[in-house]
Amino acid sequence: MKKVIEAKHLNKYFYKPVEFHVLKDIDLSIYSGEFAAIVGPSGSGKSTLLYALSSLDREYEGEVLFNDVELKTLTNQKLAYLRNRSIGFIFQFHYLLADFTALDNVMLPGLKLGELPPEELKEKAMQKLDLLGIADQAMKKVNRLSGGQQQRVSIARALINEPRIIFCDEPTGNLDSKNAMVVFDMLKNLTREYDQTILMVTHDDSFSSKTDRQIQLLDGKIIDRETP
Amino acid sequence: MNRFPILKIVLTHLTSRKRQTIVSMLGVTFGITVFIFQAGVITGLQDFFIEKTINSTAHIHIYQDKNQKSPPVLLDVYDADKTWISVPNIKSKEELPKLKRGLQIVEILESYPEVTGVSPSLSTQAILKLGVADISGIINGVNVRKENRLFDLEQDMVSGSIIRLETVNNGIILGSGLAESLGAILNDNITVVSPGGVALQMKVVGILDTGLRDLDNNRAYSSIRNTQKLMNVTGSYITDIKIKLENVERSGTLAREFQSRFGYTAEDWKEANEGIFSVFRIQNIVTYLVIISILLVSGFGIFNILSMMIYEKMNDIAILKSIGYTDVDIRNVFLLEALIIGFIGGLIGLLIGFVFSWITSIIPTNIEGFVSSEYLNINFDPAFYLLALVFGLVATGIAGYLPAKKASKIDPINIIRSQ
Repeated sequence: MKKVIEAKHLNKYFYKPVEFHVLKDIDLSIYSGEFAAIVGPSGSGKSTLLYALSSLDREYEGEVLFNDVELKTLTNQKLAYLRNRSIGFIFQFHYLLADFTALDNVMLPGLKLGELPPEELKEKAMQKLDLLGIADQAMKKVNRLSGGQQQRVSIARALINEPRIIFCDEPTGNLDSKNAMVVFDMLKNLTREYDQTILMVTHDDSFSSKTDRQIQLLDGKIIDRETP
Repeated sequence: MNRFPILKIVLTHLTSRKRQTIVSMLGVTFGITVFIFQAGVITGLQDFFIEKTINSTAHIHIYQDKNQKSPPVLLDVYDADKTWISVPNIKSKEELPKLKRGLQIVEILESYPEVTGVSPSLSTQAILKLGVADISGIINGVNVRKENRLFDLEQDMVSGSIIRLETVNNGIILGSGLAESLGAILNDNITVVSPGGVALQMKVVGILDTGLRDLDNNRAYSSIRNTQKLMNVTGSYITDIKIKLENVERSGTLAREFQSRFGYTAEDWKEANEGIFSVFRIQNIVTYLVIISILLVSGFGIFNILSMMIYEKMNDIAILKSIGYTDVDIRNVFLLEALIIGFIGGLIGLLIGFVFSWITSIIPTNIEGFVSSEYLNINFDPAFYLLALVFGLVATGIAGYLPAKKASKIDPINIIRSQ
């Protein structure tokens, strides 16, 4: 299977307030079509690892290869294109543009990519919203939607450019259990029905156990790994 | 690259924070309004004055400078380097300010292709009397047809006509202020007494109102012949030659040429009105300082509002960057917002400035200063409007660029991690 992301001897330090070795010599590959979860207690470096793998944080030591390209070698311009074209993000706090409608939020990455004319893009965005069951909320401003609906909008946004991989940072962390279940099932559905690659950080074992693969992190080290 | 996504973001930002947008637009609007209004009024007044001045003073004036005093004769005897010479109270030589060969000079001047009009004249102080009123004034002896060609006297006549100066024996045209002080109206007979004691009965054949108060209060016109009679001099006696040129900008050059050619002082109109022009220069500096400080203030307003907006929009910036918007995109978003604020605010400012100027220009003001005018003359030169808009855009562009640059430098990881 094809590697989407590969980390080699990945080390990460925090220098403030005191020097702290967060990630310790991590070797990890994520393969195409995988639904993987990074799990571990809080403070073990889960999110930090996700940020480093997802190109958000490039102040690491070692290598992170995305499609065999080392992230540090990219210019800001190319990095932006990579994020736009090949990466989708879903965060714990929904991170939508509050002044825009749900539909506009979903369309934004597509507008930037500019591969589709606005009309077709709009149609595609509607399809994505429909897929997530919130097509009826499309014209509402996002700050009028419930937490679960907002998170579904951000999933739709992550999907719009059909990325190679979607990174989720505690996607269900801010939702009640019912909504959390709905959102998780949708993510899982994406991996099953559409062969979407997803790497997710979560501290909730009930969710992580339903993924293809759990990457156990403890004190910045991968302690247990099931290879698929 | 598709510009549309940025525009969409810009418009959403601007419309979702309407009050902020309007407040910062008002800053620019106010600056531009003041710019247009102030520049219009000040330069309008200046243009009005210059036009009046050009119309009522000669482009070049040739005369003999009476105030040039001859150096004391003692200097011929003693060497000034070795000896202190002090001669108090030097008196002017008893010498008439006559232009010798004056009429020949007029003929020569008329043959210049650049000269469109030449008017020889002489002038004298005189006391004008009507009943018990007596007022001192200046009598200009002119060839009224030639003088009219230079100064368009006909247009400024409020009663009577200039031609009657030729047809009526002993005719006189009075300035409006002079006539009012005397209590004289058309066809009154007045007595004019010269400093030499010659008295003439003259008939008022016209009243003239140029709008330049100083002239209207002092000046009277008569024929050359009558003025010579008053001064008790011969028929070839003239003291001044006034010249109008085809191109007023050439007045300085030609004045120097005439001065060296004829040996008399030749003064161009700018030199003659030097005091006024230096006042104008100071006025202009003050005007521009006021405008610049207002634009500076509105620039700071925009700077503040954008800086605050960027602080509020940290999340948005982080999201946009994480979904693939580049540093340049982010910078352009905020820069474009500033420029749109500047452009729309500026346009409204131009409109309000225009309306203010227009209202001012149709309200009668009856200004009585060194020029009198029923309405304020306001300059509606489109160049000002263009300049104001460019000024506004540059100010907002600079004010917007700095926060926009800062926004583009935001690293999304710092925002995301801090949640």
